[in-house]
Amino acid sequence: MNCTRRNFLIGGSTTLFLSGYFPKISFASMQKKNLIIISLRGGMDGLTAVPVIGDKRLKKLRKKLILEDVLNLNSDFGLHPKLEIFHKLWQKNQAAFVHATNIPYTGRSHFDGQNLMETGAHIPYKEKTGWLGRGLLASNIIGKGLAISLPMPLLLRGVPQNNNFFPSPDFVETKLIDQIYNEFKGEHNELIKSTLDTIRQRPLSMQIATDSDDRKKLALEAAKQLKDQSGPRVAVFDLDGFDTHAAQGGVDGAHADELEEVNKIVTILHENLGQAFDNTLILTLTEFGRTIKQNGGYGTEHGYGSAILMAGGLLKKSQVYTDWPGLKKKELFEGRDLNSTIDSRAVYNSAMSVCFNQDPEFLRKEVFWGDEFPDLSQELFKI
Amino acid sequence: MSLNFYRRVAFGLLPNEKPDKDPLNWAINQLDTIPDLLWPGTIPTEKDLRKKYGEWVYGDREVLRKKFKNDKHAYRKAKDELRIKTGERYYELNEHAIRHFQTKYSKQPVFERFWLFWGNHFAISEKDFLAEFSTGPYQREIIRPNMVKTFEEMVQSVTTSWCMIHHLDNSESFGPNSKKGMEWGETINENHARELLELHTVSPNAGYTQEDVIQLAYIMTGWAHKWDRKNLETGDIWFDQEMHQKGDKIVLGVKYKNDAKRELAKVIHDLATHPICIKFVSTKLCRHFITDEPTEEMINPVIEAWNKSNGSLIEIHKAVIKQAYKYNEITHKFHPPEIWLMQLSRMFDLNIPLSFEKMNYTFKSKPNNRQRQLSWILREIGHSPYRAKQPNGWSDLEVDWVSPELLLRRFWFASVELPMLVKSGNRSHGFILSCLKNNFEDHKNMASLIDNFRFGTSDYDLGQKYGVICNLPGVLKI
Repeated sequence: MNCTRRNFLIGGSTTLFLSGYFPKISFASMQKKNLIIISLRGGMDGLTAVPVIGDKRLKKLRKKLILEDVLNLNSDFGLHPKLEIFHKLWQKNQAAFVHATNIPYTGRSHFDGQNLMETGAHIPYKEKTGWLGRGLLASNIIGKGLAISLPMPLLLRGVPQNNNFFPSPDFVETKLIDQIYNEFKGEHNELIKSTLDTIRQRPLSMQIATDSDDRKKLALEAAKQLKDQSGPRVAVFDLDGFDTHAAQGGVDGAHADELEEVNKIVTILHENLGQAFDNTLILTLTEFGRTIKQNGGYGTEHGYGSAILMAGGLLKKSQVYTDWPGLKKKELFEGRDLNSTIDSRAVYNSAMSVCFNQDPEFLRKEVFWGDEFPDLSQELFKI
Repeated sequence: MSLNFYRRVAFGLLPNEKPDKDPLNWAINQLDTIPDLLWPGTIPTEKDLRKKYGEWVYGDREVLRKKFKNDKHAYRKAKDELRIKTGERYYELNEHAIRHFQTKYSKQPVFERFWLFWGNHFAISEKDFLAEFSTGPYQREIIRPNMVKTFEEMVQSVTTSWCMIHHLDNSESFGPNSKKGMEWGETINENHARELLELHTVSPNAGYTQEDVIQLAYIMTGWAHKWDRKNLETGDIWFDQEMHQKGDKIVLGVKYKNDAKRELAKVIHDLATHPICIKFVSTKLCRHFITDEPTEEMINPVIEAWNKSNGSLIEIHKAVIKQAYKYNEITHKFHPPEIWLMQLSRMFDLNIPLSFEKMNYTFKSKPNNRQRQLSWILREIGHSPYRAKQPNGWSDLEVDWVSPELLLRRFWFASVELPMLVKSGNRSHGFILSCLKNNFEDHKNMASLIDNFRFGTSDYDLGQKYGVICNLPGVLKI
């Protein structure tokens, strides 16, 4: 797709709609669609979250990490018991999973991996912007990103005027900012200046102090903002602690505690988005999965293939979407990790195309440098 | 030379401190010796605190969990009492006080900036109870004494320290062909080996492979805590031959003959003197003191000093300072929240930290709000020093520190919290003006921005003044 086509779209010309890129254009599709990404830092173990119950090898290799009370998805896959909201939504075609997937990164470094999961690139630290930020910019959606964390995640960088929400203990008078705003001069002060712009434009409800220790309240405020037709269209949550080298445990171990956090956030979003949940996609993101085999500390090492947990009304149906590579030694990546058969960027690109009403091909070129991966919008999402 | 040099390489000037005639020499002369820790209160040893760590985990894991396995509430109560008794709630606060007292009053503030740098380069991230008990003393006892030695000696000390070994799980790494590895069917844990390569020495620029990581992990097997029933994982570090992988190893193309505990020192020597390591660490140093993206031209003299002195940290530090001086007028550097706070504390003589008498603790009840205040502020401005989320420590890049919420937190601190930290004798407008004059060339312009409040001395008035001053572009950055 070339530039003219893009400008065409931004201009809102109806002729584009006739060209067949968007099969369904109705009032519903003009409704604001939300894309929520939950970053799971440290390497989320897809085989703990969505265990392959149909394969006996998993139990053999993970004697001390066996899950009991797995929730049933289908004959091949189960769900970790702490992910009960996903199970509930699964019954309503509002939860799905992509399995044996990862970004195209096979090194096993958190820092490189997390950098790449956010930039979507191939060489760590080369790109300074995130795929989500670039996707928003390419779709001309400015000032609609909301990060639920103190620092601004790399994932959202690349588009100006993002907001983040992680309230301070007391109310801050923004008139202080007005007083010094004009002192920020010169190129080297531009980043701070544009950030001050964002602060000055934020809605009143975000200026009121709450308790940032309370994930519930943060998710609640995020839901409130996302529900608002003129509010943010993208939200990014940040969770860490998935790096369970030791004492990973089963139903109640260290990994389970982290999954419980994911469950909590999705539960609150689901409860409080109300009808807007129908126009929402929630996707998880991680840097890599973990080794099949347990290690010396009953934990797991950095691996490769993982899973994406998905929820929201924009999902096509409940399914475990996978091209399952198997767990036999020769089927494993380097003989030790679940392989990745789906470039997870295909999932994120498709999700962006659905939520930003954008042509997936166009995004693939603008955001991911035209890297080869398929469009999965039809398979995974309502379009 | 601009006054901002005192903030570039240190923390600005105290109200009674005057700029030196020769700022470059002033800075360079601070690097030859290790200044004493000035904190007049208690400074417990790493070993003592590790013992407390042991009492806490043993008490919780081995005693309370079993004793109260059917009574959640009684368990919670007993656990809270144990936290108080073992200092689990207290020692981190005390460490923050030691640290901030040092950066505020040290006669060698430039040395202290390097101390902060190395503590973050060899970062201990938030894991288990390291922040509560061990990261502070690790920075005092492992990082600090090595700052007048060589980089290689620093890496050796860090790599075999209890804190780093615990942080990166090396005690759980068994050579698969070692006696214990075979008996127990255990294998390596690559974490520490990977970070030793990636973060502490050569960085991914060296192009090491997964096999290099595995081979280095083999070399490192056996370096572990001594485990016993009472101290659990808090015993001293030793070399356990029965965990050590037998056979020769090859890392980055160099062969290390089967030589038990001596293998580690050899590989560290090669890593710490590797040209890519020297470039990587020199770049980080320049990034910290000069600008986010230092040029080759800025970095090269540091590399030269490194090579010429065989990695003497004193000489490396001096070279960095010379470069910081040379580029002072033409580069900008954003300061992360903790350094900003330390600078405000020094320039405006704030009540940070609390006096050592008031920091005194009886281990009988929770630390009070005043005792918790500094640590709480650090957390709220987004920079609790021992609680980086990942082993790569805190970022040194402006983009990672500029977000609406992080900037708002600075306004919050300066306008709401700071006025309560102003000493009673320092509430006059004249005091602020004199501090500005002492530290900033454009103090007149700064003063004009707060002129409206010149007669006010209430907390609110001070909040309006400091809220403005502390967040001016020339204060957030140099």
